Amino acid sequence: MADLALADSTASPADRLAVYKAQLAGQRATDARKWPLYLAYGAVIVFFVLPLAYLLSVSFKTPDDVLSGRFLPTEPTLANWPAAFGATDLDGFILNSVIASLSSAALTMAIAVPATYAMVRLNTGGRFLPTFTLATYMAPPVVALIPLFFLLRYAGLLHSLPGLIVVYGLMNVPVAFWLLTSFVRALPREIDEAAWIDGAGTWTTLWRIVVPLIAPGLAASFIICAVLAYNEFLFAFFFTTEPSRTLTIGIALFQGERLVNFGQMAAASVAGLVPVYVVAVLAQRWLVSGLVSGGVK
Amino acid sequence: MADTAAFTLPGSSIAGQARAERARRYAATLAATRKPSGGGWLMVAPLVVGLVVFAVYPLAYLIVLSFSESSLGRPLTEWVGFDNFAYALSGRFGDTLWRTVFFAVPLSLIQVALGVLVALLFNSAVRSGSLVRALILLPLMTPPVMVGVAWKLILNPTGGLVNGMLMSLGLTADPVSFLGTSPWAMLSIGLADTWQWTPFVAILAFAALQAIPEDVYEAARLDGATPVQIFVKVILPMLAPALAAIFLLRLIMAFKLFDLVYVLTSGGPGFDTNLSTYMIWETLFRDFDVGAASAQTLLFAITVGVVTLPVTWLHKQAEALNG
Repeated sequence: MADLALADSTASPADRLAVYKAQLAGQRATDARKWPLYLAYGAVIVFFVLPLAYLLSVSFKTPDDVLSGRFLPTEPTLANWPAAFGATDLDGFILNSVIASLSSAALTMAIAVPATYAMVRLNTGGRFLPTFTLATYMAPPVVALIPLFFLLRYAGLLHSLPGLIVVYGLMNVPVAFWLLTSFVRALPREIDEAAWIDGAGTWTTLWRIVVPLIAPGLAASFIICAVLAYNEFLFAFFFTTEPSRTLTIGIALFQGERLVNFGQMAAASVAGLVPVYVVAVLAQRWLVSGLVSGGVK
Repeated sequence: MADTAAFTLPGSSIAGQARAERARRYAATLAATRKPSGGGWLMVAPLVVGLVVFAVYPLAYLIVLSFSESSLGRPLTEWVGFDNFAYALSGRFGDTLWRTVFFAVPLSLIQVALGVLVALLFNSAVRSGSLVRALILLPLMTPPVMVGVAWKLILNPTGGLVNGMLMSLGLTADPVSFLGTSPWAMLSIGLADTWQWTPFVAILAFAALQAIPEDVYEAARLDGATPVQIFVKVILPMLAPALAAIFLLRLIMAFKLFDLVYVLTSGGPGFDTNLSTYMIWETLFRDFDVGAASAQTLLFAITVGVVTLPVTWLHKQAEALNG
């Protein structure tokens, strides 16, 4: 970039070429000095990709081949994949997880978006409510486990997907509030004030002005809440049973069986990872910005 | 204020500026008078209900349960005073509290340190490759149960990748049971958790690094500071508030760890990797003793509070330091 700017347009083509070559050589010299960095960089990438690559590799191994301890399958087989779907209700588990994660994230956002706006812009709840909301996130979820078990049973929602959706929806409210706060704060206050002068009420201002402006933040928060719900284990373990069982429980029970078929287990795990990974790759820009805006202020 | 400045033309008179200032103040007053009132509580009402259901009620009910003899089928059969607490503290539960603290605190520290190193590496080696960004997101998007499955496959004595490599290199004759012997089992859980969460720390630390203006590096370089000096004396103090926040976040999450223990070791070998969350789960699911589990949960919550509150305070200090 800088090289082109430096190459003076009045110089002859030959001179420009010489300058360019000199700069390229300099660039290569610094690149060469950076090789330990690139090596470290490569090692980091390998460390983070290896377990996933191995999981994928094992899903193509025959039962004998699994015991070899080699990275790649010696005689790749596709047999594990249909077998994994046949051995358990894997597609049912994945469907339950997808429904629970999307519905609960929608519920979380429906609760958190107006509340965040009111707390940040209208100072509703003063200093106490925002602090208290965040403080509830610090308590381990196991605290809520037993009381919610009795509450769900009383409400007739125990061992049902709607019950789990409500639990996840409430569970992620502090996270959504924490992520959304920075997006709402980043909007200039004058925008709200202009809407108020034009006679818009709080709900109109929120819905017509604020929500469209923080759309990327909303998307990031929604996705993060959906992923948190998809990955959840403890509540799903207690609050669901066979027809409403979610993927994480299905996989955990799969691997707990006495005669574990590692190839099938790997295939089931990879199949369950596909939905989150597709989201991760498609929405990476939003995800990173969402994580960053919440985490570092 | 910035927008009113944009409306005043360059070289406009002082009178013009005063007029603009008056207009701005008028708009602010107008906005204040037209500011909708009363809608706020309606907007936070669902959140308040949610907090009551998810935080206030559980804590209150848990306290009640902890003084009772209860099972999942029949809660509150009998009041037993402090028996549940005495039982919880006399048994092995006390050990799990210590174990959890001595697991969560160093683990979070190590992850923050590694995450910063990875972020520094990114900062100097790449120009935000989107492929790398997608790859680094994968571990933290992976359900912990699947993280456990993947690492179990790697660390298994029969057919595990690590043992396969160790044996083909001739480093051991017999496979090592990483998940079945101490201290390997606890270290394995830590390794899997570090694999999952270091990228998260790295993304946050990278963003904090990018927020430091280039002039800071340049000024330090002009003063003849070496890269290490620049990092230790200039960059690290500027990162401190962000790092304290990340550490706090990681610590809270590390205390919640349950899935990896369940999948990788089931608390074994013996009792060596039994963390508080796992023991509470066992009390509930194996002993069906809700009263004792409630007492354990309260003791665990108090422990988490005692450890995290100083960190919260530290975070506030770090923030105040940098103004």
